[in-house]
Amino acid sequence: MKIAPIELTVQRAVKRYGGVVALSNGNLDVRSGEVLALLGANGSGKSTLAKIITGVVAPNEGDLRVDGQAVRFSSPHAARKAGISAVYQELSLVPDLTVAENIWLTHEPLRAGTLDRREMQRRTADLLALFSGAMRDSLSPETSIHTLPPDEKQIVEILKALSFGPRLMILDEATASLDSRQVDRLFNLVGQWKRDGMAIVFVSHRMEEIFRLADKATVLRNGESVGTRAIAETTERELVGLMIEGMHEFERRPPSAALASAPVRLKVEHVTGHGLHEVSLELCDGELLGIGGLQGQGQSELLLALFGALRVSGHVTISGEEARFKHPKDAMQKGVALVPGDRASEGLLMIRSILENLQLPSWREYGVPIRMKKAERDGAQVAEELRMVMASLDAPVNSLSGGNAQKVVLGKWLLRSPHLLLLNDPTKGVDVGAKSEFYELLNQLRDRGTAILFYSSDDDELLGLCDRVLVMHDGAVRAELAGDGLNRTALVAASMGAAG
Amino acid sequence: MTAKTYTPAAATVRLRRLPPPLIALILAGVLFLVGGLAAPGFANPNQAINIARLAAFLGIISIGQTLVIISGNEGIDLSAGALVTLGAILTFRISGGQNEMIPVALAAVLLTGAAVGLINGLAIAFLKMPPLVMTLGMAGVVTGLIYLVTRGELIGDDPPLLGQLFSEQLIGPVPGVIILWLLIGVVMWVVLERTTYGKHLFAIGVNRTTARLSGVRVTRTLVITYTLAGALAAFAGFVLLAFTKTVFLNLGDPYLFPSIIAVVVGGTLLSGGKGSYWGTMAGALVLQVLTSLLRALGIEPAGQMVIYGVILLLIITFYGRQRSLRQ
Repeated sequence: MKIAPIELTVQRAVKRYGGVVALSNGNLDVRSGEVLALLGANGSGKSTLAKIITGVVAPNEGDLRVDGQAVRFSSPHAARKAGISAVYQELSLVPDLTVAENIWLTHEPLRAGTLDRREMQRRTADLLALFSGAMRDSLSPETSIHTLPPDEKQIVEILKALSFGPRLMILDEATASLDSRQVDRLFNLVGQWKRDGMAIVFVSHRMEEIFRLADKATVLRNGESVGTRAIAETTERELVGLMIEGMHEFERRPPSAALASAPVRLKVEHVTGHGLHEVSLELCDGELLGIGGLQGQGQSELLLALFGALRVSGHVTISGEEARFKHPKDAMQKGVALVPGDRASEGLLMIRSILENLQLPSWREYGVPIRMKKAERDGAQVAEELRMVMASLDAPVNSLSGGNAQKVVLGKWLLRSPHLLLLNDPTKGVDVGAKSEFYELLNQLRDRGTAILFYSSDDDELLGLCDRVLVMHDGAVRAELAGDGLNRTALVAASMGAAG
Repeated sequence: MTAKTYTPAAATVRLRRLPPPLIALILAGVLFLVGGLAAPGFANPNQAINIARLAAFLGIISIGQTLVIISGNEGIDLSAGALVTLGAILTFRISGGQNEMIPVALAAVLLTGAAVGLINGLAIAFLKMPPLVMTLGMAGVVTGLIYLVTRGELIGDDPPLLGQLFSEQLIGPVPGVIILWLLIGVVMWVVLERTTYGKHLFAIGVNRTTARLSGVRVTRTLVITYTLAGALAAFAGFVLLAFTKTVFLNLGDPYLFPSIIAVVVGGTLLSGGKGSYWGTMAGALVLQVLTSLLRALGIEPAGQMVIYGVILLLIITFYGRQRSLRQ
């Protein structure tokens, strides 16, 4: 099968979201028969660049050319017509439709203007045959999507992108949910497509895969393309260096002397399940233990599991006592608190008042009928401690700014004086001022002896605040960095799953 | 705050800042007075008491409905009408018209209603049945069972004490049901605003993930809510018998939709997480004033239904706009 040649170039692409610059200078070029890897740390702009190519987002500035001609894609549909299709990690399948219906959605085979079901079945079977042996034989064009496990959904997503007969395909973290056999099969197929003349853009956080599959790699840093290297002529070290070059190292606060003798608050051994593999760690009172790694490597799941919101196997003790929490309430009774990752959907009751949000975990402690005066006093006190800017405690939370809303999420747990605080990327979408207040608060909590487990997608925070950082990759702890070993190079290398 | 300009637009904004229950209450008052102008003799104390008496009964049916709608996730109890019928029939049959059997009948009514509500709650919480489907199905099951067991022959009688307690004048000219209703209003305020259950109910109505991650036992709260709703709907049937003195097989059905509308007119969000029982009380009053007024004006039943429907749509549209202004 011969594929029509294509050459795609992007130059000086800029994408701003409000005042935030997601991409300041995106450049890449890729042509038929080539696999280009896009690399970068969290927030480097690689997803934005990929989305510009596929018409998902429109760039504010920049030059996008297909075969030398300037183009502007108004939608993914327009990009597909130009021969560009994409596989995303966030699946775009309709759960209630069948495999065949999903693959051919919007470009169903027609006969005399009506759906040609037989032709659709036949073509789907041909596509599925590409992965035969790498997934269940029972998978047929007629299977409903919602009955499929994540890996098979991902394969259907890949086949869907292929069904458009693209000249250029973008694989955005498309291997994340595949097992090694399926990855091998995909890589063989990519090799085949390449020989047929397809161009492929491969976004991955697995360094090993990049070296296996790609011909060249373009590295992004802080929204800017900072270099392109031929894979045959580069090393992991060089690529990691490009990803972090010029970013300064942090002055860390010296580890407190008391820490060495502090009792162990949390001990986790071999926790497995919900994507986690054999996670073990230890955390002392007064310690701030960072969790790093690229987004979606099991960090949220680990925190949720420790809080009793996800069931996992393994052994967890808190202050030496076995902790088998069936519900977050059990964890709360043992002095554990969790600040979840998504404020609006997990942390707050947006239409309820600030007071009700602050007291939600604690109403039980105020008796029946609730002693409202005392609840209000306590709420006002924590609001003052956190310097919340608000009209009154009765104002709804959705009237607050992002930083103040996050203070409510923190405040509701501070009211309970937790011994163990689990933080899931707590400064995401928070302004600079609120961030520095938050760092100050973390240090106060440490001085009071609170044990803190702190996941952040911002490497600077981890480097600046933590004594020790665990780097997670594919649900496992890939590296433990401390002392001189805790630096940006090591953090980024471990995030990418690079050896050493 | 030196100069205030009163324009119609400013007045509308001001009105919109009022809590919906207050708007509903004002509306009920205005409708009552307008009725007095339109139909001479409408606005008199006796009529007011009569309206309150009928509204009280609707309000009692709407207690459970309020809780269930606040619980969110399309929470609704369509089995309430069938349970009202069941409650009345059980009272009718078990008491057989004897006053001393009232406590036994009441216990049976509450337990049966709670059992039905418990099944609703378990299916909705654990089998993830949509509340609309589950409670609609349950309405069919309850009605069917009544037919099966009674074969349409409703034996029994109404105990006279029930009528004396609730329907007839108890304190001065005020019938007992109004006093009962006011007491329920106080209890419901305490339950919703001053108990952990109430706080948790609002929380699961807004966002169940947040609630769970804040230590709220979501499924338990949900099951309790539907169980309470079942028991309270059956209890409303017990009270209804005081008015009707007799029972028939679709006794409760005409009250089902007004019980939902009263909740919504009272400003409780159909999407859950926000509302109050005193809003529902005001809503029940609005509906009852409206019904009585249309009847007093001598409008034929079909016309009554049209006007009733249009006015309710206007009120609900108004609340909807008010919400979008706030968010």
